[in-house]
Amino acid sequence: MSRKPIWPKIPAAFVRAMLAGHSALGLAFAALIYIVCFSGAVAVFTTEFRRWENPTSPVVHDVTPDVIERTLTQTLAKAPWAHHVFITLPTDDAPLIRVMVQPDHEDKAHKDITWVADAQGNLKQETVDAWSNFQAFLHVRLHLPDAWGGFVVGLTGVALLSSLISGILSHPRVFKDAFSLRLGTNKRLQEADLHNRIGVWGLPFHIIVSLTGAFLGLTTIVVGVLALAVFKGDVNKAYALFTGPHPIDDPRPAPQPDIKNILFDLKSREPHAVPTYIMIEHPGEEGAAIAVSAETRGKLSRGEMHVYDRKAKYLGNWGWEKGTTGQKIYSTLSPLHFGWFGGWPLKVIYGVLGMGLAAVTSSGIAIWLARRRDKGRPAPTWERLWTATVWSQPLAYSLTAICALITRSDNVLLPVWGGASLTILVLALFTPVRILSAGLRVAGSLGLMAVVATHAALWPPMANIDPIVWYMHAVLIGLAIILLWSARASVLAARNPQS
Amino acid sequence: MNWETAYQAGALALALAGAFALKAAWSKPGPKRPWFIILGWALFLVSAIMAAAMLGPVRGAFIALAIACAAGMSVAVSNYTIRVVKARAGRELALEPSDRKRVAWRGWIRGFLAGPMAGIAAMGVGLFVAICFPGAPQTRMVVGGVLVPFLWAGGMAWTLSDDKIIRAFAVLFGVAFLSLGAAFLKGTLA
Repeated sequence: MSRKPIWPKIPAAFVRAMLAGHSALGLAFAALIYIVCFSGAVAVFTTEFRRWENPTSPVVHDVTPDVIERTLTQTLAKAPWAHHVFITLPTDDAPLIRVMVQPDHEDKAHKDITWVADAQGNLKQETVDAWSNFQAFLHVRLHLPDAWGGFVVGLTGVALLSSLISGILSHPRVFKDAFSLRLGTNKRLQEADLHNRIGVWGLPFHIIVSLTGAFLGLTTIVVGVLALAVFKGDVNKAYALFTGPHPIDDPRPAPQPDIKNILFDLKSREPHAVPTYIMIEHPGEEGAAIAVSAETRGKLSRGEMHVYDRKAKYLGNWGWEKGTTGQKIYSTLSPLHFGWFGGWPLKVIYGVLGMGLAAVTSSGIAIWLARRRDKGRPAPTWERLWTATVWSQPLAYSLTAICALITRSDNVLLPVWGGASLTILVLALFTPVRILSAGLRVAGSLGLMAVVATHAALWPPMANIDPIVWYMHAVLIGLAIILLWSARASVLAARNPQS
Repeated sequence: MNWETAYQAGALALALAGAFALKAAWSKPGPKRPWFIILGWALFLVSAIMAAAMLGPVRGAFIALAIACAAGMSVAVSNYTIRVVKARAGRELALEPSDRKRVAWRGWIRGFLAGPMAGIAAMGVGLFVAICFPGAPQTRMVVGGVLVPFLWAGGMAWTLSDDKIIRAFAVLFGVAFLSLGAAFLKGTLA
């Protein structure tokens, strides 16, 4: 089939140079990019995993100011030492009332606690978000110390964005091969087709998530340098440009803030905004600060933060929906990165496209390995290690989820994930790549089914279980079936390499 | 299904129709081919306009973008063919990466230029925009901040691809020197 290309003719030398850069960058960052993309695709569903991990939490769809006041009263009675209180209000994605309390940083006798409340605002059980938090922190900072983790993930985002730029510039057949996906005999060409089709069709999404991710990860360093240049190193002055007014600090004891009138006032000021989140600083002090996040339907933002003092006097807002263009852009970056702005259908799309990006990374290295093999310079050890890196994650994630469900603690999750991943890498050194590839897919599939079985054993079907559990189980079983199917396909391909 | 999900389903249906029209143009060269291409992109555009109108201008546009990616990818993946040995003869050979001499010190210098040096140059431009451009301080900070990863990525891609290391060094050093110099000389967000 011959046709005149639409894409302008790109000189071969330019394409070859771009390919060299694309290849070098991919090789240097492949494992990090893969882990960040895989964990990011999972992290899209953090809210759903929180509900799944706490399946007996009362499902609440609507709340009134009276209900929230009761919740706050009971919270402060249970935790009079609370220095910060965060109340998450029910939304379509998370129909729950969650209350988190934090002690003062000098108070070593208490720790962060999160409760859920029922539809009347009465506090119920403590929640355990061990696995949800584990997988989220793996994506956000790879469980490294805060600033370093953010920087490494941000740098990975830069490398991914750079790969996207060099990748598209080194692809002279964007339109000619737009729908071509030829599977079969030649591993290198098959992987190249997969790499290019997913890479090109997902490009706008890939640019959005890598750019926003890099920005969010590098915020600390960018703000630090800016503060050095402008504020004599005082980063708080730089951050203050993005937060609103604040009541004057006054540590004298005082009754709890008038949350009911705050919510009534907000309703009258913003009749179309839906409060989603309340942040209370120093709730037992005269200088308490209350910020209520309220989302306006149809806006892409984290919600406007409205600030009040403890007597329900309105002090202003942070400008996330009503401020300058910069404040509005800043407020869009986080939902835009995680896909938290279009309900469950968009989350599903983000999850699939995110896994697609992980697949692009995986196939990029597979192309490099296949090219070496075709040229008579195979790298069998690297083939095994890369196969182990890619296919170890479903199993490693499953093992951490099972541990979290059984122990209800996050202490062991990082050692379990790291131990499983490292053990598989070591075993890979002694295992033929075909067996490794199929075996890890089967193990990952069994791991996912074991997660579902463990959850079902701990929380047998009962009337008051959160319905999200059934959806999550269906998805996990579906993924397990896909993994089994892909293992079968890889075995068949290995048996019949020249078909 | 609530009304938001219904609009998203509508946008997806339009985007899928657009992708199928483009696939028809791709697979059947002929006199109608330009019309299929126009129809395909028009359907993507209608999908985006509908989402923006119904789901919020910015929010809907970004939802439509994600939906378009998913639709195009779905049609491309569903178009898979199992390769037969005879078909290989017709396939053009893919270009190979340029074969550079493997010299360790060049690799280290290239890595330094693509990493820290491109990062410093990008940071310099970001700071320059944040400090020297007109507009609200928050807007300049965010625009400058978003430019940093974008320029760093561009600098990285270019440095790793350019066979002439000296040229890359000169450009990156020049950009960093000028932008950081101007930013620190002004040194105020006012």
